[in-house]
Amino acid sequence: MLLALLIAAQLPHVAVERRLAADLALRVGDTVVVAATAESAGMRAVVGAVFEPAPDPASVLKREYRLRLHLPDLAALLGAPDRVDRFGITLEPGASADSVARRLNAVAFGFRAFPSRAIAAESSQTFLVVSRFHRAIAVISIVASAVFLLCIMLLKVEERRADAAVMRFVGVRRRTIFGALVLEAALVALTGSVIGTVIAFGAGALTNAYYQRLFQTSLLFSFITPGIVLFSVALSLLLGLGAGALAAARLVRTRPMVLWGRG
Amino acid sequence: MGWGFRNLLRHPLRTALSLAGIAVAAAMLLDMVMLSGGIERSFARLLLSRGYQIRVTPAGTLPFDAEATLPNASRIRDRLRADPGVAAAGAILGANVHARRGDSLLTLFAYGIEPDAQGIYEVESGRDLHRGEADGLLLSGAAALALGARVGDTIRLTGRLDPQLAGSGADRTLVTRGIVRWLYDYRGQRSVGLALGTLQEMTGRAAGDRVSLFMVKARDGVDPAALAAALRRQFPGAAVNSIADLVAAFRVRMLYFRQLSYILGTVSLLVTVLLVATLLTITVNERLGEIVTLRAIGVSRLHVVAQLVAEGAALTILGAAGGVALGLATARYLDAILTSFPGLPAAFSFFVPRADAIALAGAVLICTGTLAGLYPAWRASRLPIAATLRAEAT
Amino acid sequence: MSVLVARDVTRDYPMNGEIVHALRGVSLSVSPGEYVAIAGPSGSGKSTLLQVIGGIDVPSSGSVELLGTRLDTLDDRALTRLRLLRLGFVFQRFHLLPVLTALENVELPMAEAGVPRGERRERARSLLDYVGLGTRGSHRPTQLSGGEMQRVAIARALANRPAIVLADEPTGELDTATGADILALFRRLNLDGTTLIVVTHDDRLAAEAGRVVHMFDGRVRS
Repeated sequence: MLLALLIAAQLPHVAVERRLAADLALRVGDTVVVAATAESAGMRAVVGAVFEPAPDPASVLKREYRLRLHLPDLAALLGAPDRVDRFGITLEPGASADSVARRLNAVAFGFRAFPSRAIAAESSQTFLVVSRFHRAIAVISIVASAVFLLCIMLLKVEERRADAAVMRFVGVRRRTIFGALVLEAALVALTGSVIGTVIAFGAGALTNAYYQRLFQTSLLFSFITPGIVLFSVALSLLLGLGAGALAAARLVRTRPMVLWGRG
Repeated sequence: MGWGFRNLLRHPLRTALSLAGIAVAAAMLLDMVMLSGGIERSFARLLLSRGYQIRVTPAGTLPFDAEATLPNASRIRDRLRADPGVAAAGAILGANVHARRGDSLLTLFAYGIEPDAQGIYEVESGRDLHRGEADGLLLSGAAALALGARVGDTIRLTGRLDPQLAGSGADRTLVTRGIVRWLYDYRGQRSVGLALGTLQEMTGRAAGDRVSLFMVKARDGVDPAALAAALRRQFPGAAVNSIADLVAAFRVRMLYFRQLSYILGTVSLLVTVLLVATLLTITVNERLGEIVTLRAIGVSRLHVVAQLVAEGAALTILGAAGGVALGLATARYLDAILTSFPGLPAAFSFFVPRADAIALAGAVLICTGTLAGLYPAWRASRLPIAATLRAEAT
Repeated sequence: MSVLVARDVTRDYPMNGEIVHALRGVSLSVSPGEYVAIAGPSGSGKSTLLQVIGGIDVPSSGSVELLGTRLDTLDDRALTRLRLLRLGFVFQRFHLLPVLTALENVELPMAEAGVPRGERRERARSLLDYVGLGTRGSHRPTQLSGGEMQRVAIARALANRPAIVLADEPTGELDTATGADILALFRRLNLDGTTLIVVTHDDRLAAEAGRVVHMFDGRVRS
C-alpha cells in the first residue's frame, strides 16, 4: 500500500474532464495510461483532479474529451520538448492590448500576437453565421405571419359585413366602425402576443433542457431577454393593428348596400 | 361541376392573400425539406467526387480533424494495396508552410500528395504533378493570387520557422506546374500541393514516415462497407471510415440544422392547416344559405363535402406551386448565409434542390391543406337544412 | 291516390331558451295536379309545414307520406335522393349559386342525378326557354334581376321532372309586377300538369290556387 502510494506520488498528475471521468468510471487517485498516438506506449499518470470545462459553444458539437497535463509532461509525451501552441499574456494595469500586440508583431518572426478580443471575434464567426441564419428565418417568419394576419383579419372583418351594413343604416359613423374593428384587432393581437410569449418561454425552456442533456453541457441554447420580448410584442401588435386597420378601412369604404348584398 | 373551385374567384383579394400565405408556408416547408438532407447529400457527393469510398485516419479522429498523424505510411500503403478489395490507395499529409512575397510572410496550407492515387483536387490549368516529381508545386487560385504566381513560376517554401533565431528551416524551391481546385478547401483558402515525400522532409515528418490520412478506392463489385470492416480489423490502431460512417459522424455535428428543419417544417404545415381551415370555415359560414339549398334540392352530403374539400385543395395546390418558386429563391439566400461558415469546403451546399424534395414537400402540403378543409366541409354537409334556412331568413 | 298525405304533424324547436310549437297537429293531403296555396300570417307555421312535407325537416310527431313513401322510413341518403328526383324547391331568396351561370344553375340537379352532359345542357336550355330566359343562360345571378333569378330558380326546380314543386314565398322578394310574372309562370306550370304546393302570404298568389289551406298559430283553420 505504502509502495503503491510512493509510486503514485512520483507519477505525473493529470486532470480529467467530468464527462470523461464518468464515461470511464475514473476517480481521483486512479492510475491511467496517456499516449500521444494509439500505437505508442504512452506514460502512466495519476488522476489528480476532475474538472468541469468552461462551456464552449465552438466545441459542444465535437463532443471531445478534455485532459489537462503539466506542460513539461505533455511536451515529453508529444516528443516536442520546449514547443507550445501559444502564450497567454496578462498586461500591467493601464497597458493597451492593441499597442502591445503591435509592438510584438513588429519584431515577430514565426508568430503573431493578437489581443484576446480579436481572437474571440474571429472564433465567434461561426456563431455570427448562425445568428445571420436565425435572423433570415425570423424575417421569413415575420413576412409569413404578416400575410397570414392580413388574410385572417380580412376574413374576420368580412364576416361582419352585414353587421357593418346595419350599423351604417342606423347612422353609425364610418369612424366609429373603423375604430371598433381596429380596437378588436388590437385586443386580438395583444392576447396573441401574450400567449405567444408564454409559448416562447416554454419552448425555450424545453430547448435548453433537451440540448443541455443531449450535449451534457450547461450552455444556454435559447435565451429570451426583456428586449426580445418587447420587440416581439411590439412587432406583433404593429402587424396585427396594421392588418386590422387595412381590413377595416376596406370594409368602411364599401357602400352599405353592397355590404348588405344588394348593391 | 366544380363550383368549389370557382368560389375562389368570388373574393379575389381574399384568395390572393390566402395563396400568398400558403406560398410562404410552402416555401418554408420546401426549404426545410431541402435542409434536412441537403448538407449530408452534399457532403457525401463531395466525399465520393473522385471515387474514393474509404478514409483511414489516426484513431479517434476524422480527416483533418486534428493534427494527429499515422506513422509508417509506406508500410500501411503497401498493406492497403495488397488487399484484394482495394483498387487504389493514396496518402495525404496536411501541414502549414510559409512563403515570402516581398516583406510579407504568407502562411499556406500544404497537401503532401501522391498524384497517381489522389482524390482531393482537380487540375484547372497547367498540369498535374508526375509520379515522383519532387520539385513540382500545385496552387489553389487564392494561393496563386496571394503569391502573384503563374504556371511555370518558381516559389520558395519554408517548412519550419524558428521564432527564437528569427530564421527558417527546411526551405525548398518548387516550380508551379498547375493551378488546381482543392475539393475540400473553403472559399479563398490558400493551398498548395507538393509531393508527399517533399512535404514530409520539410515538416520533419520524414523520420516517422507520417501522413494525415489515406484515401482508399474499392474495386468494382466490392462493397465499400464490407471492405471498410475488413480494413478495420487489419488496422486496429487507425480509424477506418466508409462514406456512410463519415456522413453519420457529420450528421451528429449537423444535428441542430436537421432538428431545426423538422421544427420549422412542422410549423409551416401548421400554418397551412390554420389558414385553409379558417378560410373554409369563414367561407362556409358566409354561404350557409347556398349550402343548405343545395342539400334541399337533393345534392348529397358527399358531394357538398367533395366540393368544399376541392376548394381547399385547389387553394393549397396553387399556393404550393407559388411556394416552389419562392422556396428555391429563399433557399439560395439561406444557403449563401450558411455556406459562409468559416472553414466550410466551398463545394458544400446546405440547401440542395432535388426533385424528390420538391415532390415530397408539395405532396405533404397538399395532403395537409386538403385534410384541413375536411372538418369545415363535414360540418357544412351536416347543417340542419330547415333550422339553417330559418336562421338565414331572420 | 294522393301525392302527399300528412297526418297529425307537430314540430317543436327550441329558440332563445323557449320551445316554439311551430306545428300543432296538422293534417293535409294533396292530389296529383293540384295547386295548393298554404296561406297565413307570419309565424303561423307555413314554411315549417312546407319544410316538413318536403323532407328537409323532421316532424316531432305525426307522419308524412310523399308519393306513397313514409318519409320517416328513409335515411338521409334516400331522403336526399327523393328530393333530387321527385321534388322541386323554390325559395324566397332564390339561393342560386353565384359562381355558376343561369344555365349551369339549372343543370346542377341534373348533374347530381347523373344525367349526361349533352342531355342536361339541352334540357336546361329548354327549361330556360320555358321560363322566358332563353337568351340569359350565360349570365351569372349577379347580372339578373330579382324576377329573373326567381325564374331561373323555378327552372332549376323543374330540372329532374319533379312530381311536386314546393315553393316557399316565391314572390316575397319581388315587386308587384315581377311577382305577377311569377304567378303567371306557376299558373302555366300547373296547367301543364305539375302539382304545386306554394306557401305565401300574397293574396294574389293564394287566389290563383285551386285550394287554399289557411294556417294560424301552427294549426290549419277550417
